[in-house]
Amino acid sequence: MSITLDRFSLTKQTKSVGQIQKAGLIGCGAIGQEIALLISQKGIEVVFIDLNEQLIEAILKSMADQLDQIINRWGMTGSEKKLVLSRIKGSVSYQDLSDCDIIIETINSQKPGANLEERKEVFRKVEAVVKPETVITSNTATMMISDLAVVLDHPERSLGMHFISPVSKINLVEVVSHFYTNDESFQIVNKFAGMIGKKVIKINESPGNISTRMIVTIINEACAILTEGVASVADVDKVMMEVTGNAFGPFEMADRYGVDKIHKWMENLYREFGELKYKPSPIIRRMVRAKMFGMRVGEGFYKWEGNLKTAKTGSIKNLGREKF
Amino acid sequence: MPQVEVLAKGLVDKIGLKGALIKHERNDGKQLKVEGEILDHKSGIEYLLGILIDPEYGCLTNLNEIDAVGHRVVHGAEDFSGSVAITTEVIKALEKSSDLAPLHNPPNLKGIYAMQQLLPDVPQAGVFDTAFHQTMPEFSYLYGIPYSLYEKYKIRRYGFHGTSHKYVSARACGILGEDISTKKIVTCHLGNGASMAAIKYGKSMDTSMGMTPIEGVMMGTRCGDLDVGALFHIINKEDITVKIANTLVNKFSGVLGVSGISSDMRDVELAAEKGHHRAAVAYQMYAYRVKKYVGAYAAAMGGVDIIVFTGGIGENDSVTRANVIEGLEFLGVDFDFELNKGLRGKEMILSKPTSRVKVLVVPTNEEMMIAKDTYTIVTGGVVN
Repeated sequence: MSITLDRFSLTKQTKSVGQIQKAGLIGCGAIGQEIALLISQKGIEVVFIDLNEQLIEAILKSMADQLDQIINRWGMTGSEKKLVLSRIKGSVSYQDLSDCDIIIETINSQKPGANLEERKEVFRKVEAVVKPETVITSNTATMMISDLAVVLDHPERSLGMHFISPVSKINLVEVVSHFYTNDESFQIVNKFAGMIGKKVIKINESPGNISTRMIVTIINEACAILTEGVASVADVDKVMMEVTGNAFGPFEMADRYGVDKIHKWMENLYREFGELKYKPSPIIRRMVRAKMFGMRVGEGFYKWEGNLKTAKTGSIKNLGREKF
Repeated sequence: MPQVEVLAKGLVDKIGLKGALIKHERNDGKQLKVEGEILDHKSGIEYLLGILIDPEYGCLTNLNEIDAVGHRVVHGAEDFSGSVAITTEVIKALEKSSDLAPLHNPPNLKGIYAMQQLLPDVPQAGVFDTAFHQTMPEFSYLYGIPYSLYEKYKIRRYGFHGTSHKYVSARACGILGEDISTKKIVTCHLGNGASMAAIKYGKSMDTSMGMTPIEGVMMGTRCGDLDVGALFHIINKEDITVKIANTLVNKFSGVLGVSGISSDMRDVELAAEKGHHRAAVAYQMYAYRVKKYVGAYAAAMGGVDIIVFTGGIGENDSVTRANVIEGLEFLGVDFDFELNKGLRGKEMILSKPTSRVKVLVVPTNEEMMIAKDTYTIVTGGVVN
């Protein structure tokens, strides 16, 4: 029989309460992958749940590709990549979440407004397998965490934990407590955030938190400027970059997040608040119908080749194209 | 110190990570490698103590046999010019200087806290990598930048590998039967990390590493001396962050970066022999940059009496040693190239008996220095 470390323990100590060694993710789309990579880079094991083995394989390959890009840009060595990937496992079985210390729900449904039930189902399934002290969080941007928590036997262990893309660069998370969240759960999330190098901005429950609410409003206003013929896409972005000191203007931001995702956020906030400032601009709606989702599909407010954008020169009537 | 004998050696690796392990070897060759969950430094040290008293692998009957614990501490800032007993004040000073060595001092402190908890009645000593170089004069340790930055943030050259430079310079004088307080010595600690020191009359006068271990000679993966203007240009052209630039100069540069082969000199030497141009250049650069420092330090000290090679490459790579020394005849070196050939990891005088400048290989022994300093401190002595 092989020798284990226990043989040499002076106190036979077991893992103390509050240690965070493993995180579970449900859904591993673009943001889920960013979160998984970040957590693993900080030395914590990650298991993610997704729909089928084929998808899991594709996700793991996508994460390996992302790390290769970091290596090509001098950010990591080959052996560090191996170590990071060795800490990430994919699974189709919720049972594999049983030893996780923290859960982050990161499912991405493209059906606007329809994924509350899906997320509730995730919360139910998670609670059935995890330890009593495991904290269950959701990365939702626009939903109310308490709407998800109601399905739990122990809603006090649930919080919102909203990561903002690009996760590796934005050094904060919005942590959302709801009416029943207890202090122990908040402290665990606080500690976890510290371990992965994020500052915690603690906010009270409100759809859109701070970041999403501000972002969609700015993008909607930029669309209004565009439809009124005041200025071009590129000029609005230039002004906003100079004035705010941000890396991207509102239109580039929309393309990078995904116009469809922005649309979904707007719909959710409009439904929740009923205020016109959140109502998706007709431009946004037309672009979603035309599948001009932004950077990931090669066209949004700009034309995209990978990370490189070029301005579109056509009329707003044709959504920037010369002809439609 | 009455008698020096190594009872066991080992290491705890990847604490808090997957694949954490402890390697241990007793002086009779009995080895142990065990993997498992090592959540923090305290549990790592606890297992290590458990191994030391294990009936099968251990070398002690019980923990009461431990009279003192010595810690290698990377950065002592300006607070420590010698090894010291660990006290509350020392810990406070180390916590303060963590800012200067964020990757190394916090884990060093964790080791100290862990030992305080596990062996509360056993005295501890701290031996600093930077302490030996605290004798550098102001004109040697300051950078040519606004003085206010030194005043505000203590931005200056500190140097590292101090324990090794101190040990091999003293040992070389011991081998030669010379008085260190009369000699001008250049020590070359050449490994994957590498640094040089100019030791005049037993005191470090200059060293090649600076505020961080990036400065100085070219290393396995670190660039060594680099025009900061070039770095700004790279940052702009490659559109990278400062953090990534730090990785670039620490992990992708040096012998690995130039050769594109490996950071291991053995691989690079093999590739160079097979005609790989970049490997050959990297191999040449490594020795050339060491040679430049030898010349610079001879000038700084007004001459050189002893040159010492140590570290993985300094002790084992005879070709690099020869490449460094070749052409230094004008300094008074008469090197025995034949004797040098194939010498690995052994104390040896490599200069000819008539050579004015003596050249030696002295395998470093930082652990021995830490043990000796610790013994001196806990028996009431002072280590400067």
